[in-house]
Amino acid sequence: MPQITGDILHVDLSNNTSWRQPVTKNDLLQLLGGRGIGVRILWDLVKPGVDPLGPENILIFGAGLLSGTAAPSSGRTTVTCLSPATGLYLKTNVGGHWGAELKYAGFGHLVIHDRAEKPVYLWIDDNKVEIRDASRMWGLDVRETDISVKKELGDEDVQIAAIGPAGEKLVRFAAVMFSVYHAAGRGGAGAVMGSKNLKAIAVRGSGGVIIAKPTQFHETVLHAREKLLSESGVEGLSRYGTAGSLNAVNEMRVLPSYNFQRSCVDDAHPLSGQCLVEAGYLKRRVACFGCVIGCHRYSTVEKGVFAGSYTGGPEYESLVALGSGCGVFETEPVIKANELCNIYGMDTISTGSVIQWAMECYEKGALSRQDLDGLGLRWGNGQAVVEMVKKIALREGFGNTLAEGVKRAAEHIGGDTHKWAVEAKGLEHSCVDTRSAKAYALAFAVNPRGADHLHTETLAEFGLSPEARALIKKITGDEKYASPYLTEKRAEIVRWHEDCYAVTDCLGFCAFTSTALYGVTPQIMAALFSSATGYDISEENAMNAGRRVVTLEKCFNVRLGASRKDDTLPWRIMNEPSSDRPDSKAVTSEKELNGMLDEYYSLHGWDKNTSWPTKTTLIRLELNNVAKELEDMNKIGEE
Amino acid sequence: MGSGVIKKIVNVIPEACTGCRQCELICSFEQGGSYSPRLSRIRLVKFEDKCLSVPVTCTYCERPICEEVCPVGAMTHDPVTGAAKVNEESCRGCKECANACPLGAIDMHPEKGTAMRCDLCGGDPACVKYCPAGALKYEPPHHSVKEKRRSRVVALNLD
Repeated sequence: MPQITGDILHVDLSNNTSWRQPVTKNDLLQLLGGRGIGVRILWDLVKPGVDPLGPENILIFGAGLLSGTAAPSSGRTTVTCLSPATGLYLKTNVGGHWGAELKYAGFGHLVIHDRAEKPVYLWIDDNKVEIRDASRMWGLDVRETDISVKKELGDEDVQIAAIGPAGEKLVRFAAVMFSVYHAAGRGGAGAVMGSKNLKAIAVRGSGGVIIAKPTQFHETVLHAREKLLSESGVEGLSRYGTAGSLNAVNEMRVLPSYNFQRSCVDDAHPLSGQCLVEAGYLKRRVACFGCVIGCHRYSTVEKGVFAGSYTGGPEYESLVALGSGCGVFETEPVIKANELCNIYGMDTISTGSVIQWAMECYEKGALSRQDLDGLGLRWGNGQAVVEMVKKIALREGFGNTLAEGVKRAAEHIGGDTHKWAVEAKGLEHSCVDTRSAKAYALAFAVNPRGADHLHTETLAEFGLSPEARALIKKITGDEKYASPYLTEKRAEIVRWHEDCYAVTDCLGFCAFTSTALYGVTPQIMAALFSSATGYDISEENAMNAGRRVVTLEKCFNVRLGASRKDDTLPWRIMNEPSSDRPDSKAVTSEKELNGMLDEYYSLHGWDKNTSWPTKTTLIRLELNNVAKELEDMNKIGEE
Repeated sequence: MGSGVIKKIVNVIPEACTGCRQCELICSFEQGGSYSPRLSRIRLVKFEDKCLSVPVTCTYCERPICEEVCPVGAMTHDPVTGAAKVNEESCRGCKECANACPLGAIDMHPEKGTAMRCDLCGGDPACVKYCPAGALKYEPPHHSVKEKRRSRVVALNLD
């Protein structure tokens, strides 16, 4: 195997064993690395009937194929497992510096099996693997854990992935935190890690990444870098971070506010990336491994009630979920709430979403102040949001109900409250209003992990930059389809982005390089794969491999019993326009969604009635074994 | 022999560094043909809880202590360009230079065991060229001092 791939390291926590498995050439060419190899391992090892929080679930960490190289912004890692939030497929992708370190230790993937009897942490020191006692670290927050492990190992440069108290307490949206502030946030991978009594994974790699054709690879790297840095969107992202777009999102009327009751507010500026810079909260710009953009933030609060807060972030999604979504339009409580989510190890999107739902329940009388442990959880009460974040992480009082996620919480409270639970498949909807962005709506509905944008980022449909409009033209044949209100051609737009996003994740690139900015094209990714591995593939091969990954993920859910009815949107998105829309039709109706789904399934070669892939489609993608297994289960789509 | 002929060095502007490690990656590639921070002649010191990273590299001392302490004369400078050299043939890997360097700018090659230090890429340092944050500058040593002098006076807000 080309050295860039790295072996798969398996660790069984129940009996202190570990073993090495090489990646086969066939798997590499078919699935490219990172996320692709991850779903293959999950398909092979996690069969129906597994409890996401039981010992049979596995937890896979897959560094991007190119992580550890100078390819611009390619240092990302994908975490894969069965999700405790949805009971379905989960991949959650993260930046930071951990994945590259894993590569330098000689591994591309790490697979955690079973569970330890007592709290442990894993220490990977090049090819030496050790399971160490973590009893005295149990209960520490992520920052304390990072410091504690580094101190014990006597090396400040060790890279650490860890869970905080939320992961230990099996909060269904607990995150695995990397390099302290980078979250593999969505879907509860942190709870899976907690269920295994695994507090942290420390890695030190002293080797390097060896490229098959170094000169050719390096030339393409420099070309990709130049192309990326010359794009129109780079400067804003670099200077103001992900929240640099927040005011524009508000102006486009897609800024989720007050639990998706509104999509535009009078003044969202205190939550914007511009405000973070101008008001002095931003202490510095931060980059993930090898990233030439550097959109991550480091912020502090120096005065007022929240003085002393310091944290990575806040990012756009956190500012919306914990800010405008809660009716909070002040910067400082959001920085504090973000800090707590980071150090307790919890997804900010889901945390914000469950709190927004509780706020709406309180405002509408479905929950009393007593139910909320005396917290005045009114719209805009930032202090109460901060308090509730703690309660959720520690499962205290009503926090224990919210820690189950908004779907289960609404089932528990009953009545109309499910209409305010903005989720699909059990995952809280991320922060763009899919009532007014139809490709996003379709992408959210078909996302195998639930309602968010991180399987298929279709920002291009807004046509905000010349590069975005050119891409829409490339996909649909006409720039006029760069309009988020159209349902036409959304299936094509979604499918192209799915394929491209999958290739992006497999190689370890940040989605911003290929599906929000566009400098790292599928063609460049194919060229980099070829020179890195020595196996030549074309752009078409790469995109086809992306399609294979997406299809295998779909099949994993089909095998668990998923069908068309699961590809849906939250009730509110389909039935209730936001109160500030002049146009009362501003929903993505069930009818609109169904029309787009029909086109999307047809385009994929999936059965429209069940959404199941057909045998022809699976054979075309060389997923013959998958086809056979689904056929035996009677879960193959009608041709 | 000192490094008096050196006109420019790699100056670090720590507050601009985003910690992306492109400098380490590019340097290791230029020096050894693979991507490996461990082989880089410029290294980041990171404090992750504060998201703080500071690059450290050779500052080209006027009286290089690494050369003074080397018992075999393996640490030299090019007499014309002033660029630092490590004679890998004669270097025994005794680590005296690494121990003596007050900056920690010299490390030992993990496989060869020989000393590694910055040679300024022959006058066009790749780390500077490819730093996306503008945290590295290739300039006469006194430039950073001049800028510091100026920025301190500016901060006084005199009118």
